[in-house]
Amino acid sequence: MSETRKFTEDILTAAKEKTQTIISEAEIETQRALDEAKAHSAREAEDLLSNARAEAEGVKRRRISEVRHRLKLQEQLEKSKILTDALEQTKTRVRDIVKDQNGYLAYLTSLVTSGAREIGLDAVVVHLNSSDLKRIDIVKFEREIAKSLEKSIKIEFSKEPIEALGGAIVSSKDGRTRIVNTLDQRIEALEPRLLIEAGKILFGE
Amino acid sequence: MSGIETVKIIVDAEKEAAKMLADARTRADDIRKRLDSLIKEQREEVLQAAKKEAEALVQNAENDGKAEAREFERDAEGKIRELTARATARKSAAIKKLVALIMETKA
Repeated sequence: MSETRKFTEDILTAAKEKTQTIISEAEIETQRALDEAKAHSAREAEDLLSNARAEAEGVKRRRISEVRHRLKLQEQLEKSKILTDALEQTKTRVRDIVKDQNGYLAYLTSLVTSGAREIGLDAVVVHLNSSDLKRIDIVKFEREIAKSLEKSIKIEFSKEPIEALGGAIVSSKDGRTRIVNTLDQRIEALEPRLLIEAGKILFGE
Repeated sequence: MSGIETVKIIVDAEKEAAKMLADARTRADDIRKRLDSLIKEQREEVLQAAKKEAEALVQNAENDGKAEAREFERDAEGKIRELTARATARKSAAIKKLVALIMETKA
């Protein structure tokens, strides 16, 4: 081989090596950038999936929670209806008892006696509803009260009827002290307890 | 071989070598130029797959939630029916107790 040919071959070999290096560097550089970009995209994808998992969990929880809430309200509504109905039926039953004079008179006597004891005066005014004022034998009633009180006090019956289901208001003569023993007042005062007791019986284990 | 011929051969070889290098640089430039679109393509592919998976996750959760909610609803409605039936059966006893509470006196 002539020296000239060897020289030109060396030039071309060196050029070939250099071209390979240039291309290889570009490829390596590109691959590295692609790998980095891929890792970055994977992190983005993972964030996206992580958000989706949280959203999915939320969607599922919300679905169940909506139904749970709706059914809890429905249960409370049912309970409330049953309690209201029981209370209404109780009032009806009380009205029936009030209509039965025999049993009611003894009860009314005890209400007036209790009121008179509580007020602690020698003279009281008893206020009744119009129905009781009409049907009750006042003389007999006064006698029953005196017997129950085991002492004699002056009882005056107000001619002005009160608006009440039953029961009585016992007041001082000047009307400044009043013991309200009407059934309406008892029902109103007892309502929270009535609801609790009814709830225990109706919905207790 | 004359001196001129020798010089010509060397000059041609250098020209060829220069062209080889220029071609290699052009190719390397092309490779680098394609990088942006490759990255974009690759990113879109990865994110598209992730979006599909995410949609499926949410859809499955929606379906699971509906199914669980239906099951819960069935159970709860059964319990409410039982509760109502039990309360109805006990209503008389409750009314009796309430009437007794209202009608009881301290006297």
